[in-house]
Amino acid sequence: MAAGGYFGRALAVDAGAGTADVLPLPDELLRAYIGGAGLGTWLMHRLGPPGADPLAPEAPLAFVFSPLVGTPLTTSAKFAVVAKSPLTGMLNDALSSSHFAISGKLTGHDAIVVHGACQQPSVLLVDGGGPRVIGAGQLWGLSAADAEARLREQLGRGWRIAAIGPAGERGVRYATISHDGRHAGRGGLGAVMGAKRIKAIAVRAATKVAPAHPEAVLGAARDLRARSFGPATAKYRELGTLANLLAFNAINTLPTRNFQAATFPDAPRLAAEDLAEMRRVARNSCASCTIGCEHIYSARGGKKMRVEYENVFALGPMCGVSDPDVVLAASAACDELGLDTISAGGTIAWAMECAERGLIDAPWLRFGDAGALMRALAEIGERRGLGELLAEGSRRAARRVGGGSEAFAPHVKGLEMPGYEPRTLQAMALGLAVNARGADHNRSGAYEADLSGDYDRLAGGEAQVAAAIETEDRAAVMDSLILCKFLRGVFTDPFGEWAALLSAVTGWDVDGAELRRTARRIVLAKRAFNIREGWRPEDDWLPERLLSEPVQLGSGRVAALTPRRLREMIDGYYAARGLDGQGRPDPAGLADLRLDYVVTR
Amino acid sequence: MGTPKAALEWHGSTLLRRTVGILARAADGPVVVVRAPGQDLPPLPAQAEVVDDPREGLGPVQGLAAGLAAIAGRAEVAFVGSTDMPFLHPAFVRRVLRAAQQGADVGLPVARGYPQPLAASYRTALAPVAAKLVAEERLRPAFLFEECVVERLDEATLRADPVLAALDPGLDSVVNVNEPPDYQAARARPAPEVTIQRFGPLAYGHRGPQPALAATVAEAAAAAGLALDGHVVAALNGDQITRDGETPLATGDTVFFLSADAGG
Repeated sequence: MAAGGYFGRALAVDAGAGTADVLPLPDELLRAYIGGAGLGTWLMHRLGPPGADPLAPEAPLAFVFSPLVGTPLTTSAKFAVVAKSPLTGMLNDALSSSHFAISGKLTGHDAIVVHGACQQPSVLLVDGGGPRVIGAGQLWGLSAADAEARLREQLGRGWRIAAIGPAGERGVRYATISHDGRHAGRGGLGAVMGAKRIKAIAVRAATKVAPAHPEAVLGAARDLRARSFGPATAKYRELGTLANLLAFNAINTLPTRNFQAATFPDAPRLAAEDLAEMRRVARNSCASCTIGCEHIYSARGGKKMRVEYENVFALGPMCGVSDPDVVLAASAACDELGLDTISAGGTIAWAMECAERGLIDAPWLRFGDAGALMRALAEIGERRGLGELLAEGSRRAARRVGGGSEAFAPHVKGLEMPGYEPRTLQAMALGLAVNARGADHNRSGAYEADLSGDYDRLAGGEAQVAAAIETEDRAAVMDSLILCKFLRGVFTDPFGEWAALLSAVTGWDVDGAELRRTARRIVLAKRAFNIREGWRPEDDWLPERLLSEPVQLGSGRVAALTPRRLREMIDGYYAARGLDGQGRPDPAGLADLRLDYVVTR
Repeated sequence: MGTPKAALEWHGSTLLRRTVGILARAADGPVVVVRAPGQDLPPLPAQAEVVDDPREGLGPVQGLAAGLAAIAGRAEVAFVGSTDMPFLHPAFVRRVLRAAQQGADVGLPVARGYPQPLAASYRTALAPVAAKLVAEERLRPAFLFEECVVERLDEATLRADPVLAALDPGLDSVVNVNEPPDYQAARARPAPEVTIQRFGPLAYGHRGPQPALAATVAEAAAAAGLALDGHVVAALNGDQITRDGETPLATGDTVFFLSADAGG
């Protein structure tokens, strides 16, 4: 019998054959990887054929749940989608939230892994009757939201659906998977699903799972709920993540016009402080969440959408666009097409700079041009015109265009950079460079150290290395339990408190020290997967622009991140992680990963 | 004055804490406090280093020798100041440092009627020269100036720096408090004029920049109705981020208050 909160098995579906196997997940393995991103990493090692093209039928796509899903613990209704990314060629896990997590887990599986490809556009159904594939019919070509709505109408209210939009169908390498308007956004997992010709996966609860100590879980849930109303979550409740924008602009941390500047003069036009008053129409929560970070805005014409800092940064300042109606419309277009806003904005910003330098023949594409932004998004979603190039992401596009454009392609490992300026956040610079997923703010939250006031954010050194490792470890555990990171500020002893939650749910006697070891294991397992798939030491690096063009601050100081400083921080990171000078793990570290094969050093 | 100068209070901070904080803001590099052997000092920020004079009562050249020696190897140029300058402005420090950075051995302000050797910049390579003078019991700064290239910075030269002219037009940076009336006069002066701005959820009802009088970040936070804690940090002039309430402010500073919970 599995530990509390688990079923002890994954469902492995062959979408092409319409068959399924059950993969037992022993307790020892679950304890080592927990669930979510951690368990998903192990599943990719176990089920992903080495060297497989991420868009090939044999490449697995995993929907991974976690022991906390289904408990009353706030923010626990989350799931991880894990696959080899078609954008980076490396491990990618993207989280999403709400009822799909609960219903998916209550199909009786800790994970649903799909491989193979359907002959025709299809929908995969999973419930107590096992998996089956039905034709997608008229759903192909619809937005994820429309497909979800139609499918729920067709199947009935008990079903919960994760779907892709037109970009996923067309293999845009940064296409998303969406559920109830929330996106497993980064790394192009929608393209993986589209390559399998699966428009949607529908799940329906068929069973129950109990925690080991229900009273303890209930008590912890009450406590966390109360804390979730405190100051640590005030920003998310009151304004949402868009509150970052004006603050980041004030501290020279808002990437602008493809990282050519760190402040955007028109930032106040996009500020949450004003937009919330004029455009906010509602505030929503995921299932099982007491924070309610989703701020729904109304664009011109009445269209409503969730607004986050990252989509406004990427489609606004990054592209030099300051009209809030255009940024909201661009954001809505990304939702309808099923595009990751960060990668879309980053790739378009790169293309705008290329066009201005005469490197690509697109005279219509200019920074700050609203029409150009909307046209570029439409062409990407349809893979036509310039969109055929831009649908590949900035790394591949820059390799094709050449002319020095690789130096300013805003990515790490192929994943476009989020809205955190590395030259003025130098602990974050390290986090972005070494993270397994690529340039990502959710797998490395090292900006917390930069913004804490405890470090000089314009300097990099041993303290920044330690801070980057700590936040990466915390993310590894939170993404595996899974708990929303917006809750992180309420924990005063994070690993100890998370261990107590996991113990109450599972019945295991876990402590904070064990969870720290678990975190390191998960981080190492991601790195080991990437090494297996062709990672090279030079992949742990930042775009040349960030290392050669300093940022002038209003105070008179100059923020410069030199290659030498970054190299020293990376070397420090490798040493602290027990990696060799080339960033590769030693045999003892690999043995701890519970893999039944040897990763080639 | 009944209290060592270093420990005198000025707008909620000690003069020494304020001087150390201003220097830390103005210069990239270490801040060293030179004290008499065994002298008690008021609390200092963690980044301040303390060294002792070898002997007590030998005056400023010995302190200069000890301080420059402590920094040599880590910085080519140092600003040397006394502890009792409540109006010292970062813009003054930067301007004076520039003189020694651009070729002179010493950048010596001549302001308010006097040369100001304890508000001046020195090449750290002068440390052995100063030590030799101490050994020879030639203990006045003038002896040091005989041994090196000194750039004298008169008031017109100093005010030619537009930033300094705007922020410290009276060159009050060199005002020190030698006697009780000096101290009383200094205390009677208001805290520096600064601008505060709140962001995100901290800005409800108080959007945009607002003027305030505050000598420290804590005073600015209080003027904004905030307290620095795990969830609120301050950014000085869009640059340093701190939750150290004793961080000193100077005229013209802008203090941003941000949510420390920056994820998203």
